[in-house]
Amino acid sequence: MSEEILKALTQLFAIISKQDGGVSDNERGFALNFFQQELEKSAIDEYLKLYDTISGYSEQVGKHIDDRSNQPTSVKDSIRTLAICKKINKTLTQKQKVVVLIKVLELVSSDKQFTNQRMEIVNAVSTVFNIIKEEYRLIESFVVSERVDSLDFNDILIADEGTEKSAPLQKHLHAHVDGHLVFMHVRSVEMYFVKYLGKDANNLNGFIMKPGRVYLFSQGSIVKTPDGGALYYSDLIADFNDEIQTIKLSFKATVEEFAFRNGTIGLRNVKINEGPGKLIGIMGASGAGKTTLLNILAGLEKPGKGSIKINGFDIHKDKNKVEGVIGYVAQDDLLIEELTVYQNLYYNAKLCFAKVPESEIQERVMKVLRDLGLDHRKDLKVGSILDKQISGGQRKRLNIALELIREPAILFLDEPTSGLSSRDSENVIDLLKELSLKGKLIFVVIHQPSSDIYKMFDKMIIMDTGGYPTFYGNPVQAITYFKKATNQVDSNRGQCEVCGNVNPEQIFNIIEARVVDEYGQPTNKRKVTPMQWHEMFRNQFKPSLVEDTREEPPKTLHLPSRLKQTIIFTTRNFLSKISNRQYLLINLLEAPLLAVLLAFIIKYKSAPDGKEYIFRYNENLPAFMLMAIIVALFMGLTVSAEEIIRDRKILKRESFLNLSWNSYLLSKLAILFLLSAIQTLTFIVIGNWILEIHGMTWTFWFVLFTTSCFANVLGLNISAAFNSAVTVYILIPLLLIPQMILSGVIFDFDKLNELFSTKGKVPLVADLMTSRWAYEAMAVRQFKTNEYQKAYYEYEREESRADFKSAYLAVELKKRNQFLIDNLENKTDTIQKLIISNKRILYYELKNETFKEGITQLDLKDMFVGSGYSREIGNLLETYFDTYKKHYQQVYNTNADLIEKKMAFYEQQGFDIQKEKNEFFNESLSDLVRNINTKERIMEYKGQLVQNINPVFQSLNPKNVFDYRTAFFFPEKNLLGQTLSTYSFNLLVIWCMTLLLYLTLYFELLRRLINIVEKVNLSVKKSG
Amino acid sequence: MPPLILPADELTPFVEFDKKKEIFYIAGKSLLDNPTPFFVPLKDWLTKYSKEPNSSTVLNVKLEYFNIATSREMLDLLKILETVPASKVIWQFLEDDEDMEESGQELAELVSVPFEFQAY
Repeated sequence: MSEEILKALTQLFAIISKQDGGVSDNERGFALNFFQQELEKSAIDEYLKLYDTISGYSEQVGKHIDDRSNQPTSVKDSIRTLAICKKINKTLTQKQKVVVLIKVLELVSSDKQFTNQRMEIVNAVSTVFNIIKEEYRLIESFVVSERVDSLDFNDILIADEGTEKSAPLQKHLHAHVDGHLVFMHVRSVEMYFVKYLGKDANNLNGFIMKPGRVYLFSQGSIVKTPDGGALYYSDLIADFNDEIQTIKLSFKATVEEFAFRNGTIGLRNVKINEGPGKLIGIMGASGAGKTTLLNILAGLEKPGKGSIKINGFDIHKDKNKVEGVIGYVAQDDLLIEELTVYQNLYYNAKLCFAKVPESEIQERVMKVLRDLGLDHRKDLKVGSILDKQISGGQRKRLNIALELIREPAILFLDEPTSGLSSRDSENVIDLLKELSLKGKLIFVVIHQPSSDIYKMFDKMIIMDTGGYPTFYGNPVQAITYFKKATNQVDSNRGQCEVCGNVNPEQIFNIIEARVVDEYGQPTNKRKVTPMQWHEMFRNQFKPSLVEDTREEPPKTLHLPSRLKQTIIFTTRNFLSKISNRQYLLINLLEAPLLAVLLAFIIKYKSAPDGKEYIFRYNENLPAFMLMAIIVALFMGLTVSAEEIIRDRKILKRESFLNLSWNSYLLSKLAILFLLSAIQTLTFIVIGNWILEIHGMTWTFWFVLFTTSCFANVLGLNISAAFNSAVTVYILIPLLLIPQMILSGVIFDFDKLNELFSTKGKVPLVADLMTSRWAYEAMAVRQFKTNEYQKAYYEYEREESRADFKSAYLAVELKKRNQFLIDNLENKTDTIQKLIISNKRILYYELKNETFKEGITQLDLKDMFVGSGYSREIGNLLETYFDTYKKHYQQVYNTNADLIEKKMAFYEQQGFDIQKEKNEFFNESLSDLVRNINTKERIMEYKGQLVQNINPVFQSLNPKNVFDYRTAFFFPEKNLLGQTLSTYSFNLLVIWCMTLLLYLTLYFELLRRLINIVEKVNLSVKKSG
Repeated sequence: MPPLILPADELTPFVEFDKKKEIFYIAGKSLLDNPTPFFVPLKDWLTKYSKEPNSSTVLNVKLEYFNIATSREMLDLLKILETVPASKVIWQFLEDDEDMEESGQELAELVSVPFEFQAY
């Protein structure tokens, strides 16, 4: 108390004392007593003098008490009193003012002169202090009254030996007390006071209680009677609280034994029974299983042997009955760093209350923020641990707020005070205490609590190494219990007699005390082993019984529909992304920068004369397209790979809400796909612009977008499966390099290890690669449909086909026929084998041939499969192949002619064909898709002739409806008997792969797989 | 605004608040245990007046005695007067009534309105 306030109080005491009849010795004695409590010895005189002067005691000494007893209070005293109270109002908290009022009332009652004038002043004081009338009446009666039956208030509790209340409204507690212990609850300030009416030497926190005096009954207080009975603060609070009395909540945990995955035992024989309105601490040496216990109680892990029941419902078996009842605050931050304090809470609330109107949600959010003292910080970004915008205490409080807003009936907190200043720690525990007083059941793992914090707990569970419970009960009692157990001298005293402090460290010093060797050095052996402590505990403590209810536990949770959840998730996600400027900037600039870099470097004076850039002669186009696809894959992967890992903690918390995983994933996809769309668009617009690729923007974009979306989902898969971002980033090359190897551009599909390759077809492994589908789609599309080519494609296709037949196939077939004629008589095994294979080739080629002039009468099957082949037939075929060759030369010439005519026509129309070709057609790409550079234009592979040249002009010849496989750069694909353009087919394939990956993501297949692998690993180690 | 005139009785003072005539006057005794209901119309009137006050306002207080509950109300009234520009209190007391004189002085310290003391 400051000097100023003490002076004010002295004046107030004096003014009241001097009213009607002057100061009595009792009153002066009370004031003196008060000074002795508050002041040092040297200062007492000064204040007493002040008191005497104002009260007129000095003048009054020796005189007979005058007869002014009926005189009204002087106006001056009134105004002075008013001035003093106003001054007090400015400095003291409401709690302190209640204490001052009680002191003033005690002063008056010390003399029992409750005259009008005095009471008028006290009444005025209470009014100026803004103490509500009813409460003043309560306080006045409590201080003044000497009879318990006159205290008919809701907020009075009498503890005595009687069995019934002495007044209808008051509460009653049966206890072995001589006389009565009267407790008062002052609701507005949540304070409790106690007064003893009787003759015994009761003891409050180790001090003797003077009968009739009013004491503050603070948190953690204990009143003890001479015969050893004790009244605990927490029990009394629960008796006072009407709210708690009506809440139906029972929490029963039985864990017989809990073993970790590796087989070590984490917990043994834990039994916890609790009801509503309790704040319970869990303490223990490190490795004693505090967090394990908390996680099991909260249902994060299954208890092994045992069960956790809320109101009789098993939290693992009747999940839907206890949905939303449990809240869990992990030790780490579970905040979305990019969002503001308000936004964090708001979106969380949106996910919890589907049926609450918008305005009320906002109100609730503001209320919680106000309650936690965060309202003035609401628009600050949370920020990361390194880039702090709000303090550690505020972060912690916000974490708690996230759980509080949906008002779970049971709350679990893992070291909520770790890393906080002592002030912040106290604020957090204060908050929890308040909540418990409202009926919540709260479990807190706490480490090295201060004395004040320790005393705030209603109960303490103390664990010892190896998961043995060694204490479960009143916190202050714990200290005396362990002291007694080790026969310490002052074992009756839990707290310091002078300051009321407790030292929780003592407990662990006792529990973990070590045996000392003959030199006085502590050894590794403990005096009392965990098992012994546990035995002692089991003999002494029986878990209290809690009324078992079968009602569904109270809950306020109403989840929104899946769609709404998706929208809320997406908005939250979107806001957090756009508020992270660095992230946004890098992601949006990455693509255009890469495009500029890539396109600019590979643009050169490509014209044959080397004087200018002409698209047609740019030999880098095929490589550019590959790079574009790799960039799309890379950006898609990196942008998504961390997404779920970042959210993992938040997901852990939200798992208590049973929110839809699908909605969550869809929200991720919505944002990632949008980002991919923007990234690929900026990339391709700039790339195409620099390299002067015309008319292909949307075509290319859609391929890249599709590829990037695939990569997004792939990234989410690994993000959901692995534990750290580093692992994920290391994985990226592993996913990307195969995409490059098997893209079909860097390494020719025909020149791969025989194990993989199929001549004339894209290898099956490559079919797993998005890059190959994407590249083929882009290349074929560009070649087939560019402004120049599309007019001639069909003619060139015919031309190319005829050319192949006349120039290569006719020669090849003729050669094989000749071989048959030459070796007709030869019966050698090797020759016979060759004959059969040649026959098969001839049969296959002729069967599908449409031009059969001169051989229509022949039975091909008999000739080549049967034994109908003869020299005459051979000769006949010889002539046929000549006509065949001529025929196709003819077809070739016709088409070449047609093309020329068409060009001439266009030129007449005013088109510049050359210019068009320079702008839209690319020689390198054309060479690539036509496979010009192959040495073997035709080859034999597995009994068939394979055309290697001009894949882009070939036609489908599927073996069956499911045969989708073709050579690379085929213009069309077979989809279940339908012919589809390569572009559509390939994109369809990528989207199907994306969908498939989404399913594996939804069912978390990769994560499960990894878990299985880890388990196998572990059991191998153990058996080894 | 209409003037506020309350006749005195055994426990309440005489009050005349008149904007037009520029009269602001309280006189007599105030002894009510709970004077708040009596003072509410006064405070309301003065609050309204403070929104559109005269160029100067002089409150004449000629009280013989008031109790502690009234003193709180008086302080409230003076706090409203603080918001009125160019306001002043004339505190009138019986020539030998030291209690009233000193009370006026104490009250003057609690508010920023200037006080003028007149013995009668």
